[in-house]
Amino acid sequence: MSIPDYMQCAEDHQTVLVVVQPVGIVPEDEFFRIYKRITSVAQVSIRDSQRNLYIRYRHHYLPENNEWGDFQTHRKVVGLISVTTCGSAKEWPQTSDRFHCQKDVFGATLYDSRLLVFGLQGEIAEQQRTDVAFYPSYDDCPDVEKRVEDFVESIFIVLESKRLDRATDKSGDKIPLLCVPFEKKDFVGLDTDSRHYKKCCQGRMRKHVGDLCLQAGMLQDALVHYHMAVELLRSVNDFLWLGAALEGLCSASVIFHYPGGTAGKASGREPSLSLMSFFPSPLSLSPPSGALTANGISADTSSEIGRAKNCLGPEDIIEKYKESISYYGKYKNAGVIELEACVKAVRVLAIQKRVMEASEFLQNAVYINLGQLSEEEKIQRYSILSELYHLIGFHRKSAFFKRVAAMQCVAPTIPEPGWRACYKLLLETLPGYSLCLDPKDFSKGSHRGWAAVQVRLLHELVYASRRMGNPGLSVRHLSFLLQTMLDLLSDQEKKEVTQSLENYTSKCPGGMEVLTLPDGLKLPPVPLSKLPIVRSVKLLDLPVSLRPHKQKGLLENNLSSKSPFIYSPIIMHTRGEERTKKIEFRWVQGDVCEVQLMVYNPMPFELRVEHMGLLTSGVEFEALPAALSLPAESGLYPVTLVGVPRTAGNININGYHTSVFGVTSDCLLDGLPSVRTSGCVVEVIPSLPRLQLSTSLPRSAHPLRPSKEELSSSVSVQLFNGETQQLTITLENIGSEDLETLEVTSKTCNTKEKLFGEFLSWDLEEAVSQLPLKPGQSVTLTVNVKVRLDFSGGENLLQDLNDDGISVTGLPISSPLRQVLKPRAETKALGSESSKTDYNHVKTLEAVMTFKYSGGAGKVEGYYRHLSLGVHVDVEPSVFFTRVSTLPATRTRQCHLLLDVFNSTEHELMVSANNNQDLVLHPSECQRMAIQVAKFDFHTLPQPDQEAVRYTNPKLLEEERLHAQASMISSTLGITWNIISFDGEASVEGVLNQLVLEHLQLAPLQWDVVVNGKPCDCDIIADCKVGDAVPLEVKLTNRSKNAVGPFALTVVPFQDYQNGVQNYDLQDAVTFIGSNTFYIDTVKPTENSVCMGALLFLYTGDFYLNIKFQDDSAGQGKELPPSWFGLPSVHIKALEVRPLSEHH
Amino acid sequence: MAVCIAVIAKENYPLYIRSVPIQNELKFHYTVHTSLDVVEEKISAVGKAMADQRELYLGLLYPTEDYKVYGCVTNSKVKFVIVADSSNTSLRDNEIRSMFRKLHNSFTDVMCNPFYNPGDTIQSKAFDSMVSAMMVQAS
Repeated sequence: MSIPDYMQCAEDHQTVLVVVQPVGIVPEDEFFRIYKRITSVAQVSIRDSQRNLYIRYRHHYLPENNEWGDFQTHRKVVGLISVTTCGSAKEWPQTSDRFHCQKDVFGATLYDSRLLVFGLQGEIAEQQRTDVAFYPSYDDCPDVEKRVEDFVESIFIVLESKRLDRATDKSGDKIPLLCVPFEKKDFVGLDTDSRHYKKCCQGRMRKHVGDLCLQAGMLQDALVHYHMAVELLRSVNDFLWLGAALEGLCSASVIFHYPGGTAGKASGREPSLSLMSFFPSPLSLSPPSGALTANGISADTSSEIGRAKNCLGPEDIIEKYKESISYYGKYKNAGVIELEACVKAVRVLAIQKRVMEASEFLQNAVYINLGQLSEEEKIQRYSILSELYHLIGFHRKSAFFKRVAAMQCVAPTIPEPGWRACYKLLLETLPGYSLCLDPKDFSKGSHRGWAAVQVRLLHELVYASRRMGNPGLSVRHLSFLLQTMLDLLSDQEKKEVTQSLENYTSKCPGGMEVLTLPDGLKLPPVPLSKLPIVRSVKLLDLPVSLRPHKQKGLLENNLSSKSPFIYSPIIMHTRGEERTKKIEFRWVQGDVCEVQLMVYNPMPFELRVEHMGLLTSGVEFEALPAALSLPAESGLYPVTLVGVPRTAGNININGYHTSVFGVTSDCLLDGLPSVRTSGCVVEVIPSLPRLQLSTSLPRSAHPLRPSKEELSSSVSVQLFNGETQQLTITLENIGSEDLETLEVTSKTCNTKEKLFGEFLSWDLEEAVSQLPLKPGQSVTLTVNVKVRLDFSGGENLLQDLNDDGISVTGLPISSPLRQVLKPRAETKALGSESSKTDYNHVKTLEAVMTFKYSGGAGKVEGYYRHLSLGVHVDVEPSVFFTRVSTLPATRTRQCHLLLDVFNSTEHELMVSANNNQDLVLHPSECQRMAIQVAKFDFHTLPQPDQEAVRYTNPKLLEEERLHAQASMISSTLGITWNIISFDGEASVEGVLNQLVLEHLQLAPLQWDVVVNGKPCDCDIIADCKVGDAVPLEVKLTNRSKNAVGPFALTVVPFQDYQNGVQNYDLQDAVTFIGSNTFYIDTVKPTENSVCMGALLFLYTGDFYLNIKFQDDSAGQGKELPPSWFGLPSVHIKALEVRPLSEHH
Repeated sequence: MAVCIAVIAKENYPLYIRSVPIQNELKFHYTVHTSLDVVEEKISAVGKAMADQRELYLGLLYPTEDYKVYGCVTNSKVKFVIVADSSNTSLRDNEIRSMFRKLHNSFTDVMCNPFYNPGDTIQSKAFDSMVSAMMVQAS
C-alpha cells in the first residue's frame, strides 16, 4: 500500500467501499454521468432498522490497497458496479466475461456486484437478473438510483451477517489471525497455540468486529469492541493493530461528536475523481470555507458522554490519535496508514480549532517517509498539505506548500511539465504572500511586504505563463512586477525585467484590457505609472495673444468662497479637492492647449516613452501624442502634452496615456496620489478667431522694460526727437472664425520723459470697414509714431554757452537774427564732455498698442482676445532750444520769439519755422533764431468743462491750461528741422516759461486805434490830407475778468527824424479838434468803450501819435500790469491836397 | 548562535531581515514568512487567555529539518524571529531569551531615533552590528 488517500477523514471508517468501473469502451463523460448518479446514493437507511449505511464510491482503486481490508474494513472493496456499453447481443458474452474478470480482481473481498449495461435491447435484456441491469441508453435509465439502493441493501445484508457471525463467534476455538500484507511472513512458524498468539488473534478480531459494527451503523457496539480490542492488543504489544484499534476508537468518537463530518460536505468524493481523471489539477480540493464553522464542535459534549460512556472526549480523541500515530510510526510499511491518520487527526483538530496541535500533526506528516514517490504523488502530497494548512488558517504555510507543489509540476524530471497547473497553483499562492494582482493596492505609499519572496513569485508566474504559451499573461505579470516592485529591484534586475518585457511585448503588446483566465480570475490592467514617474501635472494657459477675456460687463460674479472669512491662516484643502478645483484661465475650442508634466526616469538606462498623450473627459478632445526619450536616472524633466479641444464645456484632465516597452497604459491621476496638481478642470469656451500681427518695422530685440503686461510682439525703431514714422500693421486672421469686431487702444508706458503731442495715432475707420474678416484675410492699419519729447536744454547747456563768453542774456539786441555761437574751440570741448553727453543721451519711449478682437461663437458668449504690440522708440536728440526769450515787435499785437537752437546731432541740420527763413546748423552749433509771431489770444482756447473743474486738482488744471497754451504756440510756430533725409518738428512747449508766455499773450485790454476809418498799428501808415480833419477813434475792449477804468488817454503827436531826434513841438503843425485827452469810463468785462476825437494836420509830413496812458484814475490802473496798456503808436502821413503844392 | 534574524512589523511585513549564508537568503525569507502563521496563532491564543500576563517570548515556533525557529513579540505586536541551526544543540532556551532581549533593546533604540520613520525598513548601523554579533560567523 503505497498511495495514500489524502482525502480520508475519520468518518470514512463507517463507510463501505464500492468501486464503480467502466467495462469495455465507455465514453468518459457518459461514465461520469452515471457515476455521478450512482454516488448520489451515499447513504441508505436500511429497512426495518434505524441504521444507516454509508457508501464510499471509487472509480479507481488499487487492488494492493484492498489487501489492507482486514486491517481497516473501510479499505476493503465490498461492492463492484461495472458500467458497460453493449451494442448487440453478439457482444454480450464478451462483455459478461469482462465483468467477471473484473470481479475477480476484487473477488476475495466483494460482497456483491452489479453490471449496468447500456445500449443492449432485445432478448437478453428481457431476462430478469439481479446482478445485471439493462438500459437502452445512457439517457434512458430512470432507475439507476433504485438499483444502487437495492445493491447497497444487499451489501448490508452480507455485512450484517458477517458482523453477527464474527461477533457471536466468541467461543470458537480457532480464531483466525488477521494480518496486514507485510506481516504475513512474520507469522510463519509461530506457535499458534501460545497464549500470546491467541490474545493477538482475539484482539485483532475484536478490532475487526468493531470496524464492522461501525460500518453497519452500530456505533455503541463498535466503541465497546474497540475498547476491548485496545485492552487485548495492549497486553500483547501488538502495536500496529493497537494503533488501528485506537484509531477506530477515535473515528467512532469523532463520528459521534461531529455528525456533520470533518471533511466538509461533498469535498471528499468529487475532487478525488478529478484527481485521478486528469493528472495535475488537485486544485478544487479545498473544502468550502464555510464548512469549518458550519460543522463546529457540538454544543454540549458532556451530556452525550453520559449516554455513551465508552465514547472518547474531544481531548482524548487527540491523545488517542497521537498514540495511534506513534504506534504506526514504528512500522515503516505503515507509512500510508500513519499519514492518513495524521490527515484525519488534522481535520478533527481543525474542527476543534486547535490550530497549534494541528500544525504539529502536519509537521509530523511532512516527515513521514513513504519511500520513493512519483512526481504526481509528490504534487498531490504538497497540495494536500497546503490545503490542510489552509484549513487550520496557516495561509503562509499553505502558500509555501502550494508553491512547492507548483514547482513540482514542472520539475525537470517530469517529461511533460504541467505549466498550466503550475501557473494555476502559483496564482493560488498569491493571497498567502499577501499579493494582489491589482496594482491599485500598491498605489498607497511605499511597498510593504515580503519583497524578496513576492518578486520571486512574480518571476515564477511570468515564467510559467510564458511556458504555458500565453505571452499576454507574462506581459501583464511583468508589468505588475515593474510597477509595484520597481523600488526593490536592483539595476541589473531592472534591466533584465525590461528586456524580457520588451521580448514578450514584441509577440503580444500589453494593453489596458482586463485579462480573464479560464477559471474566471480577472487580471486587472497594470498601468505603468512609474515609467516614467510623473511628479506634477500643470495645465498651461494659452499664450498671451490667444488668451480669451470676458467682456467686463458680462463678467459674472463667481466669487463663491466657502468660508465666511476673507483670510484664514488655516489652509483647508485636501488633495481630492485640489484635483477637481477649477482653474482660473480658460481654453478655447479649436486651439492647441498644453499640459506640462514634470517627469523623471527611475531606470538606470534611457527610457523611451511613445504615444504619450492626455486622457480627458467632458469635452471632445483630440490629443496629439508625443514621444520622448528620458536619459537614465534623469532629474525632473518637463514634458508638454498638447491637444485640441473640439467642443466647448468643462474639460477634465483625467490622466495620461503612455506606451513604454510595448505596454500601453492609461494612468489616471486619481490613482496617483503622489502627483501634484493645481487643478485639472478647465473651461473650454467656444472658438474665437485668431489674429496674427506683422508690422513694417523690425521686431524688437529687447522687451519693454516695465514688462508688466505680456506682449504678443514688439517693434523698435530709432527716431530723432520730433520725427514722425509710419508704422504699418497687418492683421491676418489665421483662425477659423470670422473676425467681427476690432478695437485698438494704446497706452504709453510711464516714462519719466515728458511727452508732447500724441505719440501714436491711427485711423481705424478703414480697417473696421473691412470687417468681418474671413479666415485667411488680412487688414492693414497705419499708425503714426510721432515723438516729441522736451526740446528744452537744461541749465547745463546754458552754462556751457555762457562759458564761451558770449552773452545771450542781452535782450535788447535789436537784430532779430544773430549768430550767437561760433563753432566751439577745441580746447573747450574737453572740459564740457560730460555736459555734452547729457544731450547725446538717447531717451526711450514705450507704448503698448492693444488690439481687442472677437468673433464667432466665442463672441456670442462674450469673449474676446487681444493682441498687444509693444512699440519701443529710441529717441535721439535732434535740436534743443537752449534759451527762449521775447522781444517786442513793432506791432503791438506781435512780438519776436527768440530761440537759441542747438544742434545736438552729428549732422548738419536745417531749422525752419512758419514765415521764417531756414537756419542751417552745423553739428554742435547753437544759433539764435527769431520768429515774429502774432500774440496769442488764449481766450479762444476751449474752456475746461465746469463739471470737470470742480473735481480735478487745481494744480492739474493749471498745468493743463499751460499745456494747451504751449501747444497752441507750438503749432503756430511750426518749427521743423531737417537732417539729411529725415525731417521732423520741434516743439517749444517745454521751453516756454511763464514770463515768455505772458509776453506772448495778448493783453486782456485790447486797444484799437482807428485813424481816418483805418485801423492802425505801428507799421501801418495812415494817409490823410492836410487840412482835412482826421477822425481818431480809440476803442477799448475789456477781456479781463474785472471792470477796468476809468482811464484818461492823452494823444501826443511827434515827428521822428530817424536820427534819434524826436520833435514834440508840433503845436503849429497839428491841431486837435476838441480835446487831446480822452476819457474812458469804467468798462465792464467783455464790454467795450469807444472814444472819438479828431486831428487836423496843417502841414504835410510824417507824424506819429503817441497815445499816452494818463494814470489819473483812482489808483485802479496801477494794479494792472503795464503790458496791458500797450497802445500802438500811430503813424500818419499828411499829404498835400493838390499834388502840385506838395513841396512848399 | 542565529543564522537568520528578522524583525517584522505589526502588519506582518519585514522591517529587517538578515541571514548568514547569503546564497540561501530567499530560503530564510520563506522560513520566516511561514513562521508568521505560528506567531499569529500564538498571539491570538494567548490574547484569548490573559492579555496582561502575556509573555513576550513565544518560544520555539517550529522546527524544520535543519533549523529551529524562535519567536518573540513585543507589546506593540512587532515580532522578532530568530532562526538557529538545529545541529547547534548547545543553544539553550535562556540564551535565546537573552538574544531576544538584546534584539528588543536595540530595536527600542532604533525607534527612539527621531529620524526613523516607524514602519520603514531598519537601516541603523548600530542595529546591524548588534545583529551581526548575534549571528553565526560565516566560515
